[in-house]
Amino acid sequence: MPDEAPLLSVQALSIRIGSGASNLVDDVSLEVAAGETLCVVGESGCGKSLTALALMGLLPTPPVNVAAGEIHFDGQDLLTLSNEQMSELRGDRLAMIFQEPMTALNPAFPIGEQIAEAVRRHRSVTRTEARQKALEMLKKVGIPAAETRLDAYLHQLSGGMRQRVMIAMALANDPSVLIADEPTTALDVTIQAQVLQLVRDLQRENGTAMILITHDLGVVAEVADKVAVMYAGRVVESGPVRALFEDPQHPYTIGLIGSLPGIGARVAGGRLVTISGLVPTPEAMPTGCRFAERCPFAAPICAEAPPLREIDTGHTVACHFAPLEDTVSEKVAS
Amino acid sequence: MTDTVLQARSLRKHFTTARPLFKAPTVVRAVDGVDLDIRRGETFSIVGESGCGKSTLARLLLRLLDPTEGSVIYDGQDIAPLPDKEMRKLRRDLQFVFQDPFSSLNPRMTVAGLIEEPMRAHGIGNRAERREEARRLLSKVGLRPEFADRYPHEFSGGQRQRIGIARALATRPKVLIGDEPVSALDVSVQAQVINLLEDLKDEFSLSLVIIAHDLAVVRHISDRVGVMYLGELVETGPTETFFAAPLHPYSRALLAAIPAPDPQLRGTAPPALSGDIPSPSAPPSGCRFHTRCIHADAKCAAERPELRDAGDGRQVACHHFETLPASPGIATPPPRAEHVERRFALYRDRSGAGAARPDPQEEAQKTGHETQPNQEV
Repeated sequence: MPDEAPLLSVQALSIRIGSGASNLVDDVSLEVAAGETLCVVGESGCGKSLTALALMGLLPTPPVNVAAGEIHFDGQDLLTLSNEQMSELRGDRLAMIFQEPMTALNPAFPIGEQIAEAVRRHRSVTRTEARQKALEMLKKVGIPAAETRLDAYLHQLSGGMRQRVMIAMALANDPSVLIADEPTTALDVTIQAQVLQLVRDLQRENGTAMILITHDLGVVAEVADKVAVMYAGRVVESGPVRALFEDPQHPYTIGLIGSLPGIGARVAGGRLVTISGLVPTPEAMPTGCRFAERCPFAAPICAEAPPLREIDTGHTVACHFAPLEDTVSEKVAS
Repeated sequence: MTDTVLQARSLRKHFTTARPLFKAPTVVRAVDGVDLDIRRGETFSIVGESGCGKSTLARLLLRLLDPTEGSVIYDGQDIAPLPDKEMRKLRRDLQFVFQDPFSSLNPRMTVAGLIEEPMRAHGIGNRAERREEARRLLSKVGLRPEFADRYPHEFSGGQRQRIGIARALATRPKVLIGDEPVSALDVSVQAQVINLLEDLKDEFSLSLVIIAHDLAVVRHISDRVGVMYLGELVETGPTETFFAAPLHPYSRALLAAIPAPDPQLRGTAPPALSGDIPSPSAPPSGCRFHTRCIHADAKCAAERPELRDAGDGRQVACHHFETLPASPGIATPPPRAEHVERRFALYRDRSGAGAARPDPQEEAQKTGHETQPNQEV
């Protein structure tokens, strides 16, 4: 959405641990507009969860700290706000849902009370009103027999229901931005489909901007408007979801999509494309392109970090050789 | 039937929970009457949601758990009543690969020790031969033989899974059962391990039984599929026909719930299954799926459907499968543009030639960090 001003924008964010050898998140820029869903994709250790925590002001500082960058939301830079100012925003205009509801909700309090507390923290309402709101939210997220479930504890609910409760709590104050970190990873496919549908409906209803962190390309294909692919702390490719799936440019993105066991027809004897090797450790981070040592197209020029450049409208890629089919044969074969 | 390597007959496993105060103990019917034939040389996958009993079934097939009722027949012999000593001998033929590569390897043993242990237990070879075999197996699973003296913590998840596979292969088993063998791994590493399993299956003429919840993986590696729901097998059949047109309403719902890995197919799937899976300690009467099934009627609530023949080597446990509307199966993503297809081909060619490239992990090794396989297997 080029004309629409982004609601939240991350500019050149870098995160590191203490005096670590390299940035765990390096020069990452992201934008999301109202009603839009941005998916941040990557494998374990790519920095996607750290980025999400930084947005919420929840980085474990020290030892982890923001080394550079700005996060613009609502005319202010979130990184300059005090803890008090951030906690006013959290749970109100900015909300987050986590992968594991058991760690995000308190097992010792009834769920209704926890949702009501989230409402009372940010709104001047009476206990009764807050409880009413909690009930309304539980109904909205599709919890059957919501009235009786208000006083239920977490252990009395199934995994999918717990996830719904967490969503109900996150959305209780109509946040402008919802950050979801692997919200469906711990769920079975049928429950995952229900939860994704729910999040999508609620988002449509309220015009919430959503940043969804995931490693599951199926989920991305299902819900994203825009995608940013992260590798070893950097955004290596970003763009509209169709562009990413139909015209992937970065070798890492190609490898990721190629290694999905296609749910489409099976090629006879077809082997999966693989990405050999592993993500480099922060101590041994290459100075140039961080993917170079696993990249089948790597060449001497890759010792220089490739800048993100626009290859098509809104579609950017950080690879010296994109588009590969035009450049690769002559440049690398030598 | 010589082409059947492993059979389950009316297999049941009920767990009794600790007795709560003033109440009768609850009986969880984890596996409740399963009949299954695993053919020699095939890959059979068992799919289902958490709590459907698939992991319990896998353990019963190897008698890592004793069945409450029923029999498991390996090579014509019922292994359920075998004394432990006899069973131990048979374990040589039947091996297991666990889901979690972090907790299934003893952290105090070297990689060589881990791989040699099953050979030692079965009295295979002498010390030197075992050592040699361990190194050979390491290279088979795509790890360097020099890794033999390292400890599991020095390896990544994908590498540990390879060690687990090497260990399972050490006794030259006939049947390998994997309980979610790739689900703890990242997508790219998952692909490496899947390719490895496929290669090894051919090389060692294994019969593979894979327990999985990821249907994309299942479709890729299996010859036949079995779907479980609440302790029962509700459908079995050849992979292609199953995915093209699943018969059982539960199978259909399961397939419909997979997010298609292509944004163009968004919204083409029918609405998701509603509600949660009922508790296996109080399964619904009749057909266990009837509480969530859109086609259910009075008969479904009253009578348990038997698994019956549905033609083309398929079996299904549904009273009404003949009269259900045809299933749409899974939509196939449209083909990629020609230049993009070329890009993928380039990637495939280059990464296939990856073994010829200098090992990128040499550097990491010098600095003492994790190293990894230098070849794609």
